[in-house]
Amino acid sequence: MPKLVKHLLLIVLPLLAVFAVAPAVYQNHLLLFNFVIFLILAQGVNIIYGFTGYLPFGYVGFFGAGAYGFAIMVMHLQMPAALAVLAAGVVGVVLGLLLTPLLRLTGAYFAIANLAASLAVLHLVANPALESITKGPYGVSLTGTFNPTLAYEAALVVLALTLGAVVYLRNSSFGLALQAVREDPVSAAMAGVDVVRMRMVAWLASALVAGLAGGVYAWYVSVFYPDNVFSGEFSIFAIVFALFGGVATILGPIVGVLILYGVYNLIGFTTPQYFQLIYGLLIMGLVLFLPAGLMSLATRRGWHVP
Amino acid sequence: MLTYALVAGVLFGLYFSLVGIGLNLVFGVMRIVNLAHGDIIMLGGFIALGVVTLASVDPLFAVPLAFVVFVLAGLALYYVLVPRLQGASNPEMLSIILFFGLSQVIEAITTIFAGTSERSIQSRLLGTVFTTIRVKWFGGKPGPGGPIHILGQGFPAPWVIAAATSLVAIGLVYVYLYRTRLGTLTRAVMSRRDEALATGIDVDRVSAAAFGIGLGLAAMAGVFAPFMFGSITPAFGADATVTSFAIVVLGSLGNPLGTALGGIVYGVCYMLVQTYLSSWADLLPYVLLILILLLRPSGLLGRRVRVA
Amino acid sequence: MSPDAAPILNVAGLVKRFGGFHALDGLSFHVAPGEILGLVGPNGSGKTTAINVVSGLYAPDGGEVRFEGQPIGGLASHRLVHRGINRTFQVPKPFMSLTVRENVDVALAYGRARTAPPPVAQLLEDYRLGEVAARPAADLNSAQQKMLDLVRALATAPRLLLLDELAAGLNPAELDWIAQRIKALAAAGMAIIVVEHLMGFIEQITDRVIVLNAGRDIFEGKLAAAVKEPQVIEVFLGGEHAR
Repeated sequence: MPKLVKHLLLIVLPLLAVFAVAPAVYQNHLLLFNFVIFLILAQGVNIIYGFTGYLPFGYVGFFGAGAYGFAIMVMHLQMPAALAVLAAGVVGVVLGLLLTPLLRLTGAYFAIANLAASLAVLHLVANPALESITKGPYGVSLTGTFNPTLAYEAALVVLALTLGAVVYLRNSSFGLALQAVREDPVSAAMAGVDVVRMRMVAWLASALVAGLAGGVYAWYVSVFYPDNVFSGEFSIFAIVFALFGGVATILGPIVGVLILYGVYNLIGFTTPQYFQLIYGLLIMGLVLFLPAGLMSLATRRGWHVP
Repeated sequence: MLTYALVAGVLFGLYFSLVGIGLNLVFGVMRIVNLAHGDIIMLGGFIALGVVTLASVDPLFAVPLAFVVFVLAGLALYYVLVPRLQGASNPEMLSIILFFGLSQVIEAITTIFAGTSERSIQSRLLGTVFTTIRVKWFGGKPGPGGPIHILGQGFPAPWVIAAATSLVAIGLVYVYLYRTRLGTLTRAVMSRRDEALATGIDVDRVSAAAFGIGLGLAAMAGVFAPFMFGSITPAFGADATVTSFAIVVLGSLGNPLGTALGGIVYGVCYMLVQTYLSSWADLLPYVLLILILLLRPSGLLGRRVRVA
Repeated sequence: MSPDAAPILNVAGLVKRFGGFHALDGLSFHVAPGEILGLVGPNGSGKTTAINVVSGLYAPDGGEVRFEGQPIGGLASHRLVHRGINRTFQVPKPFMSLTVRENVDVALAYGRARTAPPPVAQLLEDYRLGEVAARPAADLNSAQQKMLDLVRALATAPRLLLLDELAAGLNPAELDWIAQRIKALAAAGMAIIVVEHLMGFIEQITDRVIVLNAGRDIFEGKLAAAVKEPQVIEVFLGGEHAR
C-alpha cells in the first residue's frame, strides 16, 4: 500500500470520523468546532512554516479577511453561505497574492512584515470610514445564514481538504522540493527546482486554507467584530500548536492541537491572562528544550513519523 | 498648522528614536529581533506610574531607575536564554519565537498585577523637579508648567522634555559606541561577528552588554510613553514592537545611529498623517514598514542585505 | 577526450560588475564535450564569478554566454539545470534536514534530465555515500557533503558540469580517487570546468587551462606552457606577494 493511501486511511479518515460523530455524543458543539478550526489553522501554518520555513506571524490576516469576505458576500450580494465560504477562500488567496512580494524577505523580516500586514488589514476593515462596506468597528451580524450544524460540516470539509494537502506534501516530491527550498534555495535551484514558484504555491495554499477557515468561522458564529476575527491569538495558537507537535509532519500539528487545546479546555482558565502566561512559558520552554517539537522525541530514536 | 505638525513631528521623532534604538542595538550585535522590546517599553511606563503613585515624585526620576533596573534584567536574561539558543540548528528563527514567548509572559504578568484598564499620569507632574529647583534657587511662584513655545507655537511640556531626554540618551549611546573600549568592540562585533570571534573578542560579554543597554534604553523610552501616547495598558507592547521595528527598519537595521534619522522621519510622517488624514493614522506604521521592507530593504541609510 | 569537437559552451567578452568593481571584464573562453577545462588565477581574478554567471546565479552585465548555440546569459538557475548545466559549490549547502537519499531524490524529480541518470543507489555507492544514504545530510563530514553536492549535480545528468574547488580539503588518496572519477565523467562525453587552487590536481586532470587576471583571460593552453609564460608568472608571483 503506498504511504499516501496509508496516511489517509490511518490518520485522516479516523480523525474526520471522530469529529463527524462527536456532536451526537458530546454537548459542547462550540468546543468541537473550535478544535476543527485550530486543526485547520495549525496545518495551514505547517504548510507554510513547516515545509517552506516562512514564519507567518500574521497568519490571522487571512483568517480575518476570509471571515469578512464571507460577511460581505452575504450582506451585500445575498450569497448563499456555502458559496460565500468559497468566496472567503478566494479572498484569502487574493490577499496572499497581494502579499507575495513579502516572500522576498527572509527570517525575522518576513515574520514581522507579515504581522504588520495582518494589522494593516485589521485597521483597514475596522476603519469607520469604510462602515458602509465592512460595518467598521461596529461588527457584523449575519443572522440570516445562521446554521451551526451546516457550518460545522463545512468546517469538516475544509479540514479534510487541508489534511489531504498535508498528506500530499509529506509523500510527494513536491513536498520534498519545498523542504529543499527551505533548507537552501540556491542548492534547490541547482536541483532544478523553481524556487519562486514553489514558495508561491505553498504560500497561496496556506492562505486559501486560512481564508476558508475564516469563512466557516463567520458562518458558525454569525456575529463578530474585527477584533474577534483578527485576534492575534489565532496566529499564536496555530503556530504554538504546530510547533509543539512538530512541523513538516502530518501528525505533529494534530497532536499539538489535541493535547494543548485539550488541556486548555480541561483546565478551563477563566482569566485569559493566566492562559497567556502559561502559553508564553510553554513557547519559551519549547524553544529552549524541545525546538523540533514532540515528534522529534520519536525521530531522535530513529522512528519514522508520518 | 503645517509648522505645528512639523515641529511636533521632530519632537515625537526624537522620542521615537529612543523607542527604537534599543531594538536596533540588540539586533546589530546579536542578529536577534527582540519581539519583547515593546513590552519592555510598556514596563518602563509602569515604572513611571509606580514612581508617581508610590513615591509621589517627578516621574523623571523613573528614567535612571528604569534604565538601571533593565540593564540588570537584560544581563540576567541574556545569560539565561542566549547560550541555549546558540546551540540550536536555527537560532535566528528560534530567537524570534523565544522572544515572542517572553513578550506573552511579560504582558500576562503585567495584566495579572495591573489589570487591563488604561493607565495615565497627569502630564503636569512631569518636570516638576525643574519648577521646584527654580523656586528654590531663584525664587518665584511654583506655578503649573504651561506649554513650551517653539516657533510661535505652544507644545505640551512633556513632549519637549521627552525629546530632550531622548537627544541626551542618543548622544550617550554615541559616546558609548565611539569613545569607550567596550563600545569599539561592540562596533567590531556589529560589522563582522565571525571575524570578531576569530580575533578573540569576548563576543559574549559584548553581546550581554548590548542586550542590557538595549533593554535599559527601551525601558527609559517607556517612562515617557504614558505622556506621549496618553495612556498605557499591558497590551501596549505588541503595537510598540511593530512601531519600533518600523522606525528601526526606516533608519536601517544594524546601524543604531541611523535609528535617529528613522525616528525623525517616522515622527514627521506620523504627525502629518495625524493632522491631515487622522482616520488612517493607525495604518501608518504597518504600511510604512511593509513599503520600506519591500522598496528600500536597506533602510534610508546603510546597505545591509536582507533579501533572499 | 575529444577537444576537437564543437564547443558546447562559448563565453565571449563577459562583463560582471558589483557596484564599481569589475569582477569580470571581457572574459572569453570555450569548452567542448568530453573536455576538462581548468580556470586558474589569483584570488579575486574572477574564477568563481565566471562559474556563478554561467550557472545563472548572477546575470551578466555584458558579453555573451552560449550553450549549445543558444544564448543563456541571465536565465534562472533552474532553467539552466533543465538545459543540462550543473555545478558544485565551494562551500556545499546540502538540504541538511533531509536524508542523503532525499537530497538526491529532489534533483532526480526536478532536474528534468534528458538522458536517464544512473540509478541513485549506484551514484551514492560510486561517491562513497551508500552507507549514509538514510542519514540526514547534517550528519555528513565536509568531504562527504562535497560528494553529496556532486551527486546532486550528477543526478540531473548535466552535459556541462562546473566544479568549484571540489578538491579543497580532500586528502591525497581521496584526490587521486576523485580525479579518476572526474576523468571518467569527461570520457563519457561530459564537458567539465574546474576551478581549483591545487596546481597538481589541475595538472593531473585538465586538458587545457584558462589563466584569469582581473576578470579577463590572459592565457589559454596547457598548464605546462602557462607556467613558462612571463605574464602568467608575473600575475601569480605578483598576486602572491601582494596578498
